[in-house]
Amino acid sequence: MHPDLEKLISLHDLDVMIKDLGRADILQEEVRLGLSPDAAVGELKTIREQLSSSIGKRWLALYGQICVRYGNAVVPVVMQRCTGCLTRLPTAVYSADDRNEQVRTCPTCGRIIYWAD
Amino acid sequence: MDRSCYCLWDLQSTDRSSTLSEMLSCVAQTGEHSRELLLRALEARELAGATIVAPGTAMPHCRSILVDDFVVVLGRSREGVSWPEERVRLIILFISPVKPSGPQEHMELIKHLAGKIGESGQEKLFKASSSKQLADMLGFQLIES
Repeated sequence: MHPDLEKLISLHDLDVMIKDLGRADILQEEVRLGLSPDAAVGELKTIREQLSSSIGKRWLALYGQICVRYGNAVVPVVMQRCTGCLTRLPTAVYSADDRNEQVRTCPTCGRIIYWAD
Repeated sequence: MDRSCYCLWDLQSTDRSSTLSEMLSCVAQTGEHSRELLLRALEARELAGATIVAPGTAMPHCRSILVDDFVVVLGRSREGVSWPEERVRLIILFISPVKPSGPQEHMELIKHLAGKIGESGQEKLFKASSSKQLADMLGFQLIES
């Protein structure tokens, strides 16, 4: 898998975790479990900063733009379809040998796509 | 919500990272590469704050686009795992999918586990005599591997 694609997936997961810990209901349950979600959010943001500084500027900018537009910037391809917009991908895209070896975007919605192994 | 789980009854690893990796290795529906990225997500959450929910019990968790359904893995260690400030003997690992209902279901799973841990009590969970009994106590159906 392309190193930037790996990092973009990790960045997406970090953003989901940070967003989740901003929800009052999840925060409440984590506190009930004896965890410290407030402190965790601060640390996760630091980890996010470190990770984003290692991603190629072009991809990081694209990630930010798509997040603003759709809320989710990275999606898996399932059954030859982008799971962001559900559009079937062109044959040249889904049948490529090096599918995850470069950062690819959905030709329809522009989200960053990857194939799960 | 699917309430099934894997269970590793006798974990061999003794540190947090290799334990998470050992537990992820039994998840049949994810490939090697996805497991590596899931490990990174779980480790990031742990680095942000260890998920020790009771003495001797850790609950590593995250939500990830790499799974399309809930993944729950229970792990028990005879020797204990360095987490790393505290030794834990029971590990409840879960990963929730990223989908529109994800945050709500993730919250419900945390709530479910908090309730079951409180209801069963730590000692009873440690004294479970089999994977199935442990899964039952936590309200999960064991996936035989």
